[in-house]
Amino acid sequence: MSILTDISENLQRGKAKIVKELVQQAIDEGIPANQILEEGLLGGMNVVGEKFKANEIFVPEVLVAARAMNMGTTLLKPLLAQSGVKATGKVCIGTVKGDLHDIGKNLVRMMMEGKGLEVVDLGVDVSPEQFIDAAKNQGCQIICCSALLTTTMGVMSEVVEAAKTAGIRESVKIMVGGAPVTEAFCQQVGADCYTADAASAAEAAVKLLA
Amino acid sequence: MAILTIHTESGVQTAGCAPGTLLSAALSASGHAPEMPCGGKGRCGKCRVRASGALCAPAPEELDRLHADELAAGVRLACCAKVLGDADVWPAESRAVSQICTESVGVTLGSDPVFHTLGAAVDIGTTTLAAQLYDRTGLLATVSAPNPQRESGADVISRVGYAMQGGAQALAACVRGAVAQMLRELCRLSGRTCGEIDALVITGNTAMLHLFAGDDPSPLAAAPFVVRERYGKTVPAADLELPCAPDAAVYLPRCMSAFVGADITTALLASGVCTRSETALMADIGTNGEIALWSGGKLLCCSTAAGPAFEGANLLHGMQGAPGAIDRAAVKDGQIQLHTIGDRPAAGICGSGVADVLACLLQLDVLDETGYLDADGGVWPLSGEVCFTQRDVRQVQLAKSAVRAGIESLLHQEKLNYDAVAELAIAGGFGSYLRLESAAAIGLIPPELTPRCRVLGNAALAGAVMLLHDRALHASSAAMADAAQTVELSTDPFFMNQYVMQMMF
Repeated sequence: MSILTDISENLQRGKAKIVKELVQQAIDEGIPANQILEEGLLGGMNVVGEKFKANEIFVPEVLVAARAMNMGTTLLKPLLAQSGVKATGKVCIGTVKGDLHDIGKNLVRMMMEGKGLEVVDLGVDVSPEQFIDAAKNQGCQIICCSALLTTTMGVMSEVVEAAKTAGIRESVKIMVGGAPVTEAFCQQVGADCYTADAASAAEAAVKLLA
Repeated sequence: MAILTIHTESGVQTAGCAPGTLLSAALSASGHAPEMPCGGKGRCGKCRVRASGALCAPAPEELDRLHADELAAGVRLACCAKVLGDADVWPAESRAVSQICTESVGVTLGSDPVFHTLGAAVDIGTTTLAAQLYDRTGLLATVSAPNPQRESGADVISRVGYAMQGGAQALAACVRGAVAQMLRELCRLSGRTCGEIDALVITGNTAMLHLFAGDDPSPLAAAPFVVRERYGKTVPAADLELPCAPDAAVYLPRCMSAFVGADITTALLASGVCTRSETALMADIGTNGEIALWSGGKLLCCSTAAGPAFEGANLLHGMQGAPGAIDRAAVKDGQIQLHTIGDRPAAGICGSGVADVLACLLQLDVLDETGYLDADGGVWPLSGEVCFTQRDVRQVQLAKSAVRAGIESLLHQEKLNYDAVAELAIAGGFGSYLRLESAAAIGLIPPELTPRCRVLGNAALAGAVMLLHDRALHASSAAMADAAQTVELSTDPFFMNQYVMQMMF
């Protein structure tokens, strides 16, 4: 078994310590950092995303897998920067104003990181202004809004309006998600994309950036 | 029309039925369906009840099944005995037959009632309403009904949203109408008139009281969830459009916070937890799980969004605890044995059945500790069309971990372990039907606390009844609610970590 497959499989099982050791070993063996990232870590997270989408694994397994991935990427980051490898895109994400739920939002963030995207996490209770500020000043191409309450999801339309007012609506994509959100709601507020689960959200983000 | 008087532990209820109606049918119609494993064919003898009055002579099946001394004592088979005229019946107490739990542990009633002639206690639950009518001699009648606001959304938040979009008046009108209807029914059952009702205590969660009283619920819609109105006050019944004596007063008990309402205040009152010196937990498990910890004279509360999995709402074959619902399951000879309410063919699965079935699947190693269901296509067939799916398991994992993580967070806050907890009191309808062993097996409650569990039944209503009978409790329960500290879980890292960990089995 190649070391990259080994990394992928240990990541899927959430073995953070082993993943870290194997990534170091791969670096020492002279495997290019972007190859370790793509075939080892992101390959593993891909499988995790697919299984999560199919309900075969659940939130706890995704979280431990994501933690294992983070252990690996920490080692790779300086090398990737040296070799000029850039993330495939930059996204800002947050739970909208008035809403404090963040597990769903965190899952989306992890899945997006697992697709090689750079994610700015704005946290919970995020105002439309904060989303727009992050998109403008940190160069995010996608704004991702999460809401768990039927009473807070309306803020998403304010985010769309704020993007128009700020004159960035043409240059950023807006994704929406969360338990009460639907495709119809997405269209109604004039957002660009809705997905039902975190793994699909990450895939959709990659497509939007392509 | 024959009048059937039904005597249960919680009181006396009367029901009208056509002469010739089977006792079993008349009992079902009034929420006391007897267990009939044989399907009402007079074969199993499980539907024994005591009855007297104008009934048909014992049928051959009854003579066959019942001993002479039972027959002499008036024992009948409900599936055979026909009501010919006015009669009395004492049905067997059964836990899982009624959809709405109105029964509760006995509470001691005070001797300084707030009513003179008749008093009513009402619990406005998000899903169901329950009410009891008292005179100075004791309980006269108990009734229950679905909360008609359900049509505007199953959960609290969607109803608050509906109210904010202009539906507030409609929501208030429909629940007031339902409460008024229950008061009329209580009076009809007891042969009294609504004009005799001179005092009421109406409990419910914070959102339900806002929507009932017609107060602006918008503080409940979004963070920081700070409510201005916490009740603990008396309002004229006329303002609430209730049929009562002209000067009747309604006491609305004090809420603790936006998501820990007056129903928890009254449930705590009924539990007696806060009158004792030992450390105790109380949990009300529903769409929202509310948990209270009493320790060292301090009351900590939290609310956790469990979602409707235990009410069956988001499961493929989930249903409420109605006839045909799988309500119990156990492993026998390597197979899952199912029981349905009313022994009907399985139509779906209700909350207590969900906990049992998952416990069985764990016992059979079909379900692993991560919640992976090792079954063809992620579907485990139960009975006929009814099955349990991998997706269903995930919904239950979210629900049970929310409740359990709430319990763990309160204990953690006070640096207590299970050994320190003398009792876990379980309030609410779902908790009454739940088998504690299954709840522990799936991790909804800590297994260590199972032997120390006490099931309270509809404690919110029982506490409202206590307030109806003891004027002094109004101030002391409000003081208890004021002193309670609400722990905000959604921003608590310990809770978040527990929430994820407790998803495992």
